[in-house]
Amino acid sequence: MKEKLKRFNWITFAAMLALVVIGTAAIYSAGNARTEAIFHSMWKANLGTAAFGLVVYFLLAYFDYRKYVSLASVPAYAVSLLLLVVVLFVGTSTYGGRRWLWFFQPSEVSKLCLISMLAWMFGSSEEEPWKRGFRGFLAAAALIGVPAVLILKEPDLGTMLTLMPAALLMLFVARVWRVGLISAACASLVLGAAVLGAVYEAERPGVPRERKAAIMRCVPLKPHQVKRVRVFLFPDDDPHSAGYNLRQALISIGSGGLSGKGFRKGETNHLKYLPQSISMNDFIFCVYAEETGFVGSVVLLALFGALLVPCAWTAYVATDGTGRLIALGVSTLVFAHVFVNIAMSVGLVPITGLPLPFISAGRTFLVTVMAGLGIVQSVSIHGREKLK
Amino acid sequence: MRDDVRLVSDLSALATGALFIVGLVVLGFRLAQVQLVDAAKYLEDGSRQAARTVQTAGPRGRILARDGTVLADNRASVSIVVNPEGFQRRNWSETVAAISNAIDAVSSVIGLPPPLTTNAIARHVRQQLARPLVVWRDVGDEPIALFSEHERDFPGFECVETEERTYPEGRLAAHVIGYVGRAETEGPSGEKFNFRDKEMKGRAGLEAFYDGYLRGSSGEIVVTVDARGFAVSEQVVGEARRGPDLNLTIDPKIQRSVERQLRGEYGACAVLDPRDGAVLALASAPAYDLNLLVPRLTEEMNARYVGNHACRNRACFETYAPGSTFKPITALAGLRAGRSSTAEYECTGLFELAGMRLHCARRWGHGPIDMRHALKESCNTYFCNLGSEIGTNALFAAARDFGLGEKTGIDFPQDSAGIVPSAEFKRRNYNLPWYAGDLAQASIGQGQLLVTPLQMARVAGAIGTGRLVRPHLRADAPVETSELPFAARALAVVREGMRMVVDGGTGKLAGEGVAVPVAGKTGTAEVGRGATRRKNTWFIAYAPAENPTVAIAMVIENGVSGGGTTAPRVCEVLKTIFGEK
Repeated sequence: MKEKLKRFNWITFAAMLALVVIGTAAIYSAGNARTEAIFHSMWKANLGTAAFGLVVYFLLAYFDYRKYVSLASVPAYAVSLLLLVVVLFVGTSTYGGRRWLWFFQPSEVSKLCLISMLAWMFGSSEEEPWKRGFRGFLAAAALIGVPAVLILKEPDLGTMLTLMPAALLMLFVARVWRVGLISAACASLVLGAAVLGAVYEAERPGVPRERKAAIMRCVPLKPHQVKRVRVFLFPDDDPHSAGYNLRQALISIGSGGLSGKGFRKGETNHLKYLPQSISMNDFIFCVYAEETGFVGSVVLLALFGALLVPCAWTAYVATDGTGRLIALGVSTLVFAHVFVNIAMSVGLVPITGLPLPFISAGRTFLVTVMAGLGIVQSVSIHGREKLK
Repeated sequence: MRDDVRLVSDLSALATGALFIVGLVVLGFRLAQVQLVDAAKYLEDGSRQAARTVQTAGPRGRILARDGTVLADNRASVSIVVNPEGFQRRNWSETVAAISNAIDAVSSVIGLPPPLTTNAIARHVRQQLARPLVVWRDVGDEPIALFSEHERDFPGFECVETEERTYPEGRLAAHVIGYVGRAETEGPSGEKFNFRDKEMKGRAGLEAFYDGYLRGSSGEIVVTVDARGFAVSEQVVGEARRGPDLNLTIDPKIQRSVERQLRGEYGACAVLDPRDGAVLALASAPAYDLNLLVPRLTEEMNARYVGNHACRNRACFETYAPGSTFKPITALAGLRAGRSSTAEYECTGLFELAGMRLHCARRWGHGPIDMRHALKESCNTYFCNLGSEIGTNALFAAARDFGLGEKTGIDFPQDSAGIVPSAEFKRRNYNLPWYAGDLAQASIGQGQLLVTPLQMARVAGAIGTGRLVRPHLRADAPVETSELPFAARALAVVREGMRMVVDGGTGKLAGEGVAVPVAGKTGTAEVGRGATRRKNTWFIAYAPAENPTVAIAMVIENGVSGGGTTAPRVCEVLKTIFGEK
């Protein structure tokens, strides 16, 4: 036990606790700006969820990851696929997507299941050469592809896009057929650029309607996604309807200035200019940044750094492939969420529905992330010794 | 081989950590741009979208009479208003319905009927959401007491103190003062405001003419609104200030006396100071209590008073044939045309011209009569002859020299020019040629000639002083006078004649008991024919006869004669001014 405490990574743990505290405060502020009383006590629910998340965290950290990853990966992956199928039929719709199964979102859980599955599968790639070849690539494509298609069906493009970097990085580190990986990464980059270019070409002012329709037929996006891309490309075009969210996000963040307006004093949030339906979730960073200013933003970024960089270090010092891969997968997944969420709030990437880890009021996601970090902590504690 | 594999993987892990740092730094730079470099712009955008500016009304200035008597003032008034932000619902129609229901609930408690239609509430919600909606204006003590008792049961409602116009003297000078309505505040910088409060706006009389002067300077408050437009808080940015008081030339003592003389009649009276044009009294009967028009002019009150023909302003809007009060002008025209004041005409009691027969006041005739006595006895034959001799142009040029046929220039919205006819006028309006009879009629103030009592008071004063003045109601208005283009000798003859009118002539009742000598002229103008034939009886005067300080003209509709009906009333007014002998 003493050994374990010595190897316990205190920095990432402390950063996580601080983030939970900040998140609870931000949820308090966002929730109290809303008219409906049910949201006023949301912060308590968040604390409760965090407490539950901590229990999961410590359990996963205490036990050796090698035991439970090898035992549970396949069943967990299978169950997550099943839930993703079920949610398509009996899930609850919110804001145009079928994502909810009673009280949790299967797509959030499935991210961790996939990472664990990939880590278990390719952790042994050094010993098993076939996994580094074309067959390994095919197997990986199948493992990733099935949940990815199911998540896209919901549809939840944002979740998909944050899962991809983590999965690709894990495969890259596992030295799976690099030609294929690089081609796939390049292909998706080219596809993304092509979609952006097509929307730009179609929505540019002065484009005839027929040409616009012709281009749009080739773009594989839903109308609301096209709208978000358009707002990203032409932010000043339509500040009242489509561009409203981005405009309000920028106003709230920007008006925070250097030191912010003070806790619970963010006008954009409290006067409800910030879209109320997503101020506690996708736009929680705006609520936080308005009240704490640039200083608060930098503190938050620093905390995320303190949370994630030690995870990379854990991967570096891990003695086995599975540990290394899981540490990298989890930290990259969290980083992708942090980066995309904040970047969309400040207009660096198109707006997409994505929570900010620890800060947004998403209970499934909070527990998922804490569980993932618990496994990384387990890698930190147990990864440097041989399995007994 | 094994070591090589390890090495690449380890570097990958470290590279990943470095990537995290780079990503967070990129975000940090973008945040620095948004929160530090562009912060001022976003801060301004944020406050602009949440701020609504409101122009508030300043209290209106008072209207004071010459001696400081308050004719128009503001009184504290309590209104019950509802704040829409207390009724936030899922959609606008639910908000409107909630407000409407709440108003009904309050209504049943305080016992006043709900005054607003659902449409009016919806319009307010649509256009003025951030402002309180005035439900009951100028509420009496009893409903206010009931409301205060139950105020807690009606969240969103409150009592606010406002001001209403009040007229302490009631019907005194009602036509002169006019009345106010409500309109949105106006201001030179009107465009920059999102909302404007309603303020009092003059609709008639001096309230309308001096509206811009009386109006207070507006203030400004900034209301912070939420995303849906509901008010959250407000802050006074500029204080509204009271408008200046308007001091009038009206002398309430004289005004009251004049109105007493007109009571029960249809008629009007104007009293001027002929030296500077100050209007001492301007009255029209019947009149009405101005307080009946507060807080607003109702349909009923409009039908009964303001819009009613019977209550129109007879002092300077309605026009009358001047009758014999025009004869002094005919006399002056004759003298200017070279006729001698001592030349006599033979009055047989009947003037005949081209088949037209005109009776003199004295049926059996005055015999041979000169100008002074013709004025004294108001001999029609004399003036018909004189007028016919000098011709149309000479006669009407004199009328125009007295300001007839044109506006007096008084600082008042109603200022009729009246009519000084001509051949051209008659052809255009009646499609008839100008007959010699028309000229004879005009010489004694009949026919198409039309004047206002205000014009005739001015005429009387001008004869007395030799100068024509522009009448004015505001105390510090500039004085404008002009010399009459008549010889002093001619004026002296007419003054003598008008003195004789009161001193034993047709208007002798006008001077009885007045402490100063009075000069005047009676007039009995016949209007209509047959069954509708009636007489408008006039008296014009100035006093004291030497160096006059007061000029007066009074007309009573349906009187018996100028000397019998109107002269005694003018006498009472003069006694009030100069005292009794």
